[in-house]
Amino acid sequence: MAELTRERWSGRAFFLFAAMGSAIGLGNVWRFPYLTYEYGGGAFLIAWIIGLIILGIPWMMMEFGMGRLFQRGAPGVFEGIGKKWEWLGWWPVFVAFLIVTYYSVVIAWSLNYAVDSATLAWGEGAAGAANAGAYFYGDVLNLSSGPTDLGGLQWPVVGALAFVWVALFFIMYKGARVIGKVAVWTVTIPWALLIVLLIRGLTLPGAVDGLNYYLAPDWGALANADLWFGAFSQIAFTLSLGMAGMFAYGSFVAKKADINNNAFITSFSNCATSFFAGFAVFSVVGFIMQALSVSVGDVSASGLGLAFVTYPVAISMMPAMAAVTGVIFFICFFFLGIDSAFFLTYGGVIAPLRDKFGWGRAKVTAFICALGLVIGLLFATGGGLYWLDIVDRATAFYGLLITGALACIVVGWFYGVEKLREHINSTSDFKVGAWFDWLIKVVVPAGLLFVVIYGGFKNDVPNAYGGYAIGPFNGSHIIWLILGVTLLLSFWLQAAKTRGPKEVKLK
Amino acid sequence: MTTAAIVTTIVMSLVFIIGLVFCFTRIGKGGKWED
Repeated sequence: MAELTRERWSGRAFFLFAAMGSAIGLGNVWRFPYLTYEYGGGAFLIAWIIGLIILGIPWMMMEFGMGRLFQRGAPGVFEGIGKKWEWLGWWPVFVAFLIVTYYSVVIAWSLNYAVDSATLAWGEGAAGAANAGAYFYGDVLNLSSGPTDLGGLQWPVVGALAFVWVALFFIMYKGARVIGKVAVWTVTIPWALLIVLLIRGLTLPGAVDGLNYYLAPDWGALANADLWFGAFSQIAFTLSLGMAGMFAYGSFVAKKADINNNAFITSFSNCATSFFAGFAVFSVVGFIMQALSVSVGDVSASGLGLAFVTYPVAISMMPAMAAVTGVIFFICFFFLGIDSAFFLTYGGVIAPLRDKFGWGRAKVTAFICALGLVIGLLFATGGGLYWLDIVDRATAFYGLLITGALACIVVGWFYGVEKLREHINSTSDFKVGAWFDWLIKVVVPAGLLFVVIYGGFKNDVPNAYGGYAIGPFNGSHIIWLILGVTLLLSFWLQAAKTRGPKEVKLK
Repeated sequence: MTTAAIVTTIVMSLVFIIGLVFCFTRIGKGGKWED
């Protein structure tokens, strides 16, 4: 078999921006700040930093390093460890693909809202604030009665979704070199916009009250398991690990390039962005508390509620620059999401498929984008929000945590993490000691499984997730079904013959 | 802002600044910046 050269980043800076862009996403804005407030402010931050050091950074070094070592995406890495493990590389590929099918819809909503904000389509002043929820769930989503009542397609959402997938195709079809260059912009633009939003937030009345709720430490919370669950889960979700893509991104790194320092820079930059975004979010929460004379508990400060209800409420009530602030916020959301989307699609799905089947990049990119658009239509229906919730729970919670824990166990105990450490230390700016081995072998899997059991199984096994009724099934049944089917498909792909290049020259 | 919130802000800012300064001052010590 001819010796082939793998595609490469144009330089270290481009790899760093691509990795940071994949990690910095919507969760930095709509999940981290709320968790910090919910779980004890400064006390939560201590647990979060501990989680970053003992879980997030070693896990990222493992994914980068294994990708670079084997010069393959996730399935190729585990095939390299042993053919019987290849399924463990395919399982997160399905996780990544399912995540991007609904994540792209959220990005599409952001585009819809960027346009709607220009005219404050949900209304101005107190009337607009009162109408923001009805506008999102009614006008934008046309939310149906349940997951089995799909209703019709929401055509403005479909149009924006098609735009997102076309944009993703043009970003990805030429591979890592173009992705790296695009990522420079998709990372720096939201940073700049977050600064603008922070300045706007801090100039609003009541902003300081919001920041006090965000940061005031409750040291007693450190003894509460919920705080550690929140901190570890946030670290697990925020770094875009367990979604196959970081193996592929690492495989595009050249032979003499650093791994360890890049993982530290990526992780620290991501978490610094989260911390900074919290100021932009909670300054606005404080403004809403004062403007509407409500308590912090009455303001939805996380998830879709924050982005598409709470923030529009704030925009309606703003004394000046309301429309401009709205447009900036949702364009910021678009850029935060788009680089995570092309990470999931290219690193998570397209690169592994090309490794396995040797398909041409443009063709497989077009096929995956078209398939992602078609599946995403489910989430653009009136019942789409229910399905988004269920699929999100199956993939972005169980899928990434379980596959991440198993990947660390296999690399740690069956491949030999010492070999990985020797490999990444050989070219990195600083070396890591034997402590890294035990983090990968024991601490990371234990931390991820703690989140799965404490925050997942404990609730979703005895109770029906979300209270959904889908014929004879409930939400939990659908979650187990998604996990089971994707696992079976992973074994099916393992059994397929590998037709991609066997040898890749490390250059 | 309360004193506790200010202290939290300063401490966390220092954690990130010191961490990133450390990383960027190590660049080129092992791996190459431009590959």
